[in-house]
Amino acid sequence: MEDTYCVVTFQVTQHALIFEKAMKNMKYAVKLMPVPRQVSSSCGTAAKIPCEKKKEILNLCEKENLPIEGFYKIDHKKKKSWF
Amino acid sequence: MGDKRKMFIYGGIIGLIGAILLKFGNPGNMGICVACFYRDIAGALGLHRAEIVQYIRPEIIGFIFGAFLISVVKGDFKSRGGSSPLIRFFLGFFLVIGALVFLGCPLRLILRLGNGDLNAITGLLGYLVGIFIGVQFLKKGYTLGRSTDQPKISGYVMPIVAVALLLLLIAKPEFIFFSAEGPGSMRAPILLSLVLGMIVGIVLQKSRICTAGAFRDVILIKDYHFFWGILGILVVNFIANIILNFDAFKLGFEGQPVAHADHLWNIIGMVLTGICSVLLGGCPVRQTILASEGDADAGITVLGITVGAAFAHNFGLASSPKGVTNNGKIAVIIGIIVVLIIAYSVVKEANKARNQKKESVKNA
Repeated sequence: MEDTYCVVTFQVTQHALIFEKAMKNMKYAVKLMPVPRQVSSSCGTAAKIPCEKKKEILNLCEKENLPIEGFYKIDHKKKKSWF
Repeated sequence: MGDKRKMFIYGGIIGLIGAILLKFGNPGNMGICVACFYRDIAGALGLHRAEIVQYIRPEIIGFIFGAFLISVVKGDFKSRGGSSPLIRFFLGFFLVIGALVFLGCPLRLILRLGNGDLNAITGLLGYLVGIFIGVQFLKKGYTLGRSTDQPKISGYVMPIVAVALLLLLIAKPEFIFFSAEGPGSMRAPILLSLVLGMIVGIVLQKSRICTAGAFRDVILIKDYHFFWGILGILVVNFIANIILNFDAFKLGFEGQPVAHADHLWNIIGMVLTGICSVLLGGCPVRQTILASEGDADAGITVLGITVGAAFAHNFGLASSPKGVTNNGKIAVIIGIIVVLIIAYSVVKEANKARNQKKESVKNA
């Protein structure tokens, strides 16, 4: 897994599926995944997206009324702690 | 280290501890069983009077302590709640009825499989069907609503309950019931159970492993992150059983400990448990961990599980090695109908709200 990536989180699982569909329509690279541990101790569904598309994606969400909860940049450090 | 390997190792620790607790005295293929352990606690508190399944299981106390402590240390502890508590209570209630008809929570299902009990395969089949049904509701917009911040003390309730249970376990006042025979009398030493339970709590809080979440993600988004944890539990438990519990290892359907070989009802019971787990966002052990890190909704679910377990014995719903009871069959069918109605109503309302929002955006 790459060192840095971005995720969008959602309140409702269905929103993640709607978001994924919209991103695929726009030909953006999108992949659904469990919410990264760094973001939350919950285990919901998030969407992994390219960080450089942040602005376009947030604009699109607003325009299309796509419900999202948060946008996070994840630093996947190589030296990871177990605890 | 890769995420997959890390999850496998986390799961492996759970599987190993399951085998150790079995070795040191817990009932057959029940190193850990969250549904059974809440049932035993309900019995010890006198909520049901099935004399063979009454004990304050230190493992549960350990899960709560471990998850609570690590969540406080790592900053995950947050007092939250208010997301459809009553619905969660009843989902927990029916979840455990399904589990007690099968005879085990999903975690024990894996441990049963790890010690050769092939009835766990039919149970697993039912669990997967239940999860698949639950996932269909998720796709349609199922949600129990957002939780909100709660007063801090709300988050401390479960850890305080765990302290109270520990005191009752040690002091054993006369109003507490401990089984003299049967599964409730089979126990690993208190301190060992407590310490290993804490390790389980810490590992599960850190890794977020959940049997329902793992299969849900495989079905819903084809993601195998948590599934590796489940695989770790199964593989390591199997190997550890071969080494530690070789005499107890038995491959087959018949004569398995605390189990029955009624395939149809093993499946249907776990269908109910699977649906409830997805609708709750986690299986019983996951609910316990969440409840320990301040989630009052998971706390209510745990209470639903405990009360449901008590009813399961008071009303003769729980199975025994002799087989499934008629009351149990009826309860599982009622349970499936009730939880499907709950899920359908929630989805219908969520979509109505969404369509209304769309309309208002259009008209704006």
